[in-house]
Amino acid sequence: MDTGELLAKPDILPTLNLSELALDMVLMPLVAFIVGLALVLMMRKVRASIERRVGPPLLQPIYDIVKLYSKKTQISHGYMHDIAVMMLLGGYIAAEIFIPVPGMDGLASHADLLTLMYLLMVPMLGMALGVGQTANPNGSIGISRALSAMLAYDVPFVIVVAGAALVYGTTNLSEIVSLQQQQGWGLVQMPLLAIAGLLAMHAMMGKEPFEIYVAPAEIATGPMVEMSGKYMGALFVMQCFQLYTIGVLYTTLFLGGGTQWLTFLPKVFAVVLFSVSITNVFGRYRTEDAIRWLWKWPTIIALLGLAFVVA
Amino acid sequence: MNLLDLLLLLSLLTVVLMYFYGHRREAGWLGVAAYAIQLLVLIKLYSYMQSDRIIVAHLSFSVMEHILIWGMTGLGWFFAVISLGAALFASWYTAGEWQDTQKNMRLQHIVLSLNVFAMLILLCSQDFITLFIGWELVSWASFFMMTHSGGKAAKAAYRYLIYAMSGAVALFAALVLIMVKLGSTSFSVFWAALPTLPDSFLWLLVVLFFIGFSIKMAILPFHLWQADAYAETPGANASFLSAISARMGLFALALVLLQPVGIERLQHLMMPLFTFVDARTLLAWIAALTAIIPTYIALQQSDARLLLAWHGIGQGGLMLLGITVGTPLGVAGGLLHAFNYATYQGALFLAVTAVLHRTGTTDLDRLGGLITRMPWSYVVLLLGIIGLAGLPPMNGFVSKWLIYKSLLDQGMPLLLVAASISTLGTILSVYKLIHNIFLGQLRKAHYEVKEAPWSMVLPMLILAVIGFITGLMPGLALSLVDKAQMALGYDALPHHLGGLEWKTGSLNMLWVVGILIYGIAIGAVVFYLFGGRSHKTHQWDNYAGGHFLSAEVPYHYSHNFYPGVMRVIGGWFRHQTLNVEMGIRHFVQWSAELCCRLSQVAHPTLYMLMLAVAALAFVG
Amino acid sequence: MMGPILLIILPFLGAFLLPIIYRHYNQAGYWAAPVVLVISLVICIGLWHGVNIVGPQSLVMGGVSAPLGIVFYVDALSILFVLVLLVGSLILWLGAWHRRIKEEMLLLLMVGGGSGLVLSGDLFNIYVFFEIVAVASYGLSASRRGDPCGYAASLRFLLLGSLGSAFILLGIAIIYALTGTLNLSHLAMLAPQALHGMAGLSAFALMLIGFAVKAELFPVNTWVAEVYAHAPVRISALLAGIVSKLAIIVVLRLLLLLYAHEQAYMLLLCIGVAGLITGELAAFYAKDLRRMLAYSSIGQLSVIAIAFSIPGTLGVVSGLALALHHALVKTGLFMLTEKWKGSISSLQGMAHSAKWPSVLLIIFALSLIGVPPLPGFWAKFLLFKAGFSAGGGYSYAMLLILLSIIIEAAYFFRVIHLLYQTPAASSTPLIPRNKELQPMLVISGLLLLVMLTIDPIYHHLSKIATQVVDVQAYIDHTLPAWKSTH
Repeated sequence: MDTGELLAKPDILPTLNLSELALDMVLMPLVAFIVGLALVLMMRKVRASIERRVGPPLLQPIYDIVKLYSKKTQISHGYMHDIAVMMLLGGYIAAEIFIPVPGMDGLASHADLLTLMYLLMVPMLGMALGVGQTANPNGSIGISRALSAMLAYDVPFVIVVAGAALVYGTTNLSEIVSLQQQQGWGLVQMPLLAIAGLLAMHAMMGKEPFEIYVAPAEIATGPMVEMSGKYMGALFVMQCFQLYTIGVLYTTLFLGGGTQWLTFLPKVFAVVLFSVSITNVFGRYRTEDAIRWLWKWPTIIALLGLAFVVA
Repeated sequence: MNLLDLLLLLSLLTVVLMYFYGHRREAGWLGVAAYAIQLLVLIKLYSYMQSDRIIVAHLSFSVMEHILIWGMTGLGWFFAVISLGAALFASWYTAGEWQDTQKNMRLQHIVLSLNVFAMLILLCSQDFITLFIGWELVSWASFFMMTHSGGKAAKAAYRYLIYAMSGAVALFAALVLIMVKLGSTSFSVFWAALPTLPDSFLWLLVVLFFIGFSIKMAILPFHLWQADAYAETPGANASFLSAISARMGLFALALVLLQPVGIERLQHLMMPLFTFVDARTLLAWIAALTAIIPTYIALQQSDARLLLAWHGIGQGGLMLLGITVGTPLGVAGGLLHAFNYATYQGALFLAVTAVLHRTGTTDLDRLGGLITRMPWSYVVLLLGIIGLAGLPPMNGFVSKWLIYKSLLDQGMPLLLVAASISTLGTILSVYKLIHNIFLGQLRKAHYEVKEAPWSMVLPMLILAVIGFITGLMPGLALSLVDKAQMALGYDALPHHLGGLEWKTGSLNMLWVVGILIYGIAIGAVVFYLFGGRSHKTHQWDNYAGGHFLSAEVPYHYSHNFYPGVMRVIGGWFRHQTLNVEMGIRHFVQWSAELCCRLSQVAHPTLYMLMLAVAALAFVG
Repeated sequence: MMGPILLIILPFLGAFLLPIIYRHYNQAGYWAAPVVLVISLVICIGLWHGVNIVGPQSLVMGGVSAPLGIVFYVDALSILFVLVLLVGSLILWLGAWHRRIKEEMLLLLMVGGGSGLVLSGDLFNIYVFFEIVAVASYGLSASRRGDPCGYAASLRFLLLGSLGSAFILLGIAIIYALTGTLNLSHLAMLAPQALHGMAGLSAFALMLIGFAVKAELFPVNTWVAEVYAHAPVRISALLAGIVSKLAIIVVLRLLLLLYAHEQAYMLLLCIGVAGLITGELAAFYAKDLRRMLAYSSIGQLSVIAIAFSIPGTLGVVSGLALALHHALVKTGLFMLTEKWKGSISSLQGMAHSAKWPSVLLIIFALSLIGVPPLPGFWAKFLLFKAGFSAGGGYSYAMLLILLSIIIEAAYFFRVIHLLYQTPAASSTPLIPRNKELQPMLVISGLLLLVMLTIDPIYHHLSKIATQVVDVQAYIDHTLPAWKSTH
């Protein structure tokens, strides 16, 4: 491919409407937060119904966050501990502005799928550093397991991303959405990759059976052992963002994105629903078993899908 | 006397100055000034580096019907900038308190300036003979740098010597073969003849050049020597070595074989038995494997310097991968990665040396919790590891992004997966590094540790900040890379200050970093606004399952940090290459003994009779 | 045109008169030998200029012209090696020497014999002078008093050498039987018909074996390690550096003039390759600096033999360059072993007390290995150019030489590495004395001079090579009158 063909526009920065941008920068994280809350609620309701309970009320997630933030004792183990919490939230807020959603493209033209993938590792790194400073080995073990799990699920995930980028011919997320609107869903074009992607994303959410990094009974909730009060609240908010991001990412890649919220949100909820449904009936894999499983089945399926794409 | 002459002269002068004044306390500052002046001369040369222009030095010899001239192109200029920058910061680091801990600082100054001079000579080569002369000078200078402190470093350096001589011998053979076949040793004759050379001859040349240059770069399977040698070299020189020394091999390989003409030819050069694989794909895969395997070996190290040295080997593989892709995007990624790597690896090595200076150890199982005692070193290490891992906002991310993008654009998804696997391993490994040194529990022995002195903190902090700034505004570094790329024969990558516009997905680091800062600001607002004030607790005020913690209780998780991963991949590292190396060594020793015993005979005249019979039979 | 005669006669005269002078005028006896050498050197330089300006000369002895009489042929090659011999002996005379009459006599005999060896133009004289050199070297190798190992070594050397001389004589006899003449130029004329058959080549093989003893070629070089380990340092330096080159030059002459035949070249090549492998590997194993240098010189001489076995001027040029370089460097290296003898492990940490000798060792080692810009690199460069141009089996020989470079670097730097470690607690520092350092400094000065004047030296060597390869010119110069009538 010649450089000339790949140059998009002659001018350096795309013309941006500053007020639109400002609106995006505020709204996108906000929408992500709200939808994330709804996803957390759905997760708990599904678990409740499997366990034949009523489940928490509608605003429970908000109650939880308010409760955590209003605790009297907030302990900190040092400045890195504090910065970690800011990095957690900040990383995800930043990531949301780069994921296009119906009506709001944000800055998706300035950062592509690859950038997003690595940008999403910044909050994880921040949390790891903060947990490190808490000087609790349970936390460190938890982080070690979390990173090992990340190594495990990122291998099939990268194969899926590579395959998807090859099929679409671009890594620009808005273009991927518009291509799917024209050509049909990614799920239809590359079913194997979609399946592998779903499995990898399930592991990314840290749900059973890949919940080893938390392991409440073994390592006292791992990274969260010394997090309480507003720190825990921030982690809770992060969980909302995390569910939202993963759901939206998968929807964007394989389920056609969405041109309006009515068609978009059900897809996102469907993805998360799939994960939280199967999560409730599994135990927990050990780290090495998780690694072995993730490097076997999703990877094989992804490689097969990739072979079909390349051929 | 043009600028290049001035540069070479200044470099030689630095060596002489260090020889006479290296024992004084101000020698470090002298070095800083000298390298800064040379860097200024280089910056002045920037405008001369057009795509085809070569600045020719007045240094020239005529030997045995070969005329040797030295001249600098954009590619050499780019690597010279990196070398001088690395030398500057290394010299600055030694200018203050640190030099009191060293036995023979004068020798360290001399070898540093000698290495810089040798590298400049290599980077100015204009034909194969000057390349070989420069190559030998650089190899011996770096051998000197590794070996002068004695002890374990000297042993590792001896091993390096054997490897380096093997590489030099391969290069010598390639040089003479080219001269005999083509009648000339100039580069342009070689490149012009490249498309029409017969396959078998070209394979021989490719193998010889690969052996010669990849030994210096520590590409698989010649990677065993580098980690020990670089890790054991004393302090600041180790950062210089790991930042730039191995990249000389990259320079030479790119110059000789990986021009557009070369890549084109390599794509048509099929392997003898596996005829679906061409030479370029083979090279790309070797580079990818070099990116993966040493990174996972680094994961298993328990010494901080060894860990960093193994990462150096891995990142070298990534650089080669980028250049092998052969498009402007990929080549820019590979070259930019060399620059970025020098900044953050220099910072990392210097930070680890600062820890060594204050605590006396770099053993990852014996450190911990130093963030409270050495905050600036922590910041430097943090920025360094973010760069090494290749995450935004540091510059490592930009060069890796360029490489990934080029692999996708060229339709090589498996190589992208391989490169990503390497990055994942890096993330795991660097977290272990920072966790075991700076996070976790502070040990009793280190309660009185102070921060490193400003003479040590400033240079490494500035290096890390350079990494951040070139991550925020990659256009700055890309304008340096442009010169190198055009000298190599590729089109320059169209970029702007924040990144580049690309049809299949753009990158604008200004926005990415800006939004990241915005997000963190919001996070800070949420943190401080909502919720009560947090109060600091001591490290012993910690959940311990009902126990009480005290200074005597080691409460740090550091040894065998990734047991899960190790259980899966540990069995795959069975020292295969090491066994081959040991096998060769034993074979040579055995045959040497055999030959020695052969000549220790009581009746040598018997041999004479045997020879007479054999010769007469041969003749008859 | 008395020059060549004087070059041979003067040292002999000096040798015979030396005891008389010593008995009567002790002081004069002290200076007698060096004065003889200096006079010979002056004559040699005069001849050199003459040869450069006018061209090769031949001198007929006793009025009986070739091919029946004795002829001395002075061309650029022979005068160069006489020069090397004289300069080398003078350099090694530097520094105090135990003034022992017998050694000085033998040395002068060796110088005279060596000059005659390269200057003679017929086989018989070559044999005679070779014998003189050989006997002198047997005597000199045993000259260290009271060293029983030295006696044993030189006895084996004597046996080998004598048997080798017998082989040479046998070869000469076969040649005489085949052609009826012993004059080299006459033989050169008759060679293509008479000597390139099986009988003639066997004669060459036998002569090669004989000369190979002195030229340290495989497998008759087993004497080398022992003799060099026990002889006095300067003798070892002389033998390794200079006398061995004289022997190989004689082989070159025979090869070029009489036996420019593929099988002869192949024979030399095979012997050279075998010697290279065994020599370098044995040096790797050696535990004693002197033996290491001895085996190393075996390897280097085998490389020179391989160079000479490449047909054409390129091979000769590279061989000459390598020979001269080795003569320079090995001599210097051997001087170090006066103090640094004994096992290599006892050398640990010596560099801290003996700075300059270690630096000189490094410079010589680097030049031997072939690191640019030192002269050794250019010599090896010429060799590889010649070898790879020749193709075929020579390429494989070049490959082996390349591998041997790695091994050389390994064993030299093993020693250097050991030198620079911290010394063992109980060792006494071994510092080479000034009288050994003086020749080394002169040699290193020469080495640097050579490094700066590579180009003129290369041109001169190319001229020599073209002159030597030109057999017709040799015949024209020595048999002008005779040829016109036959």
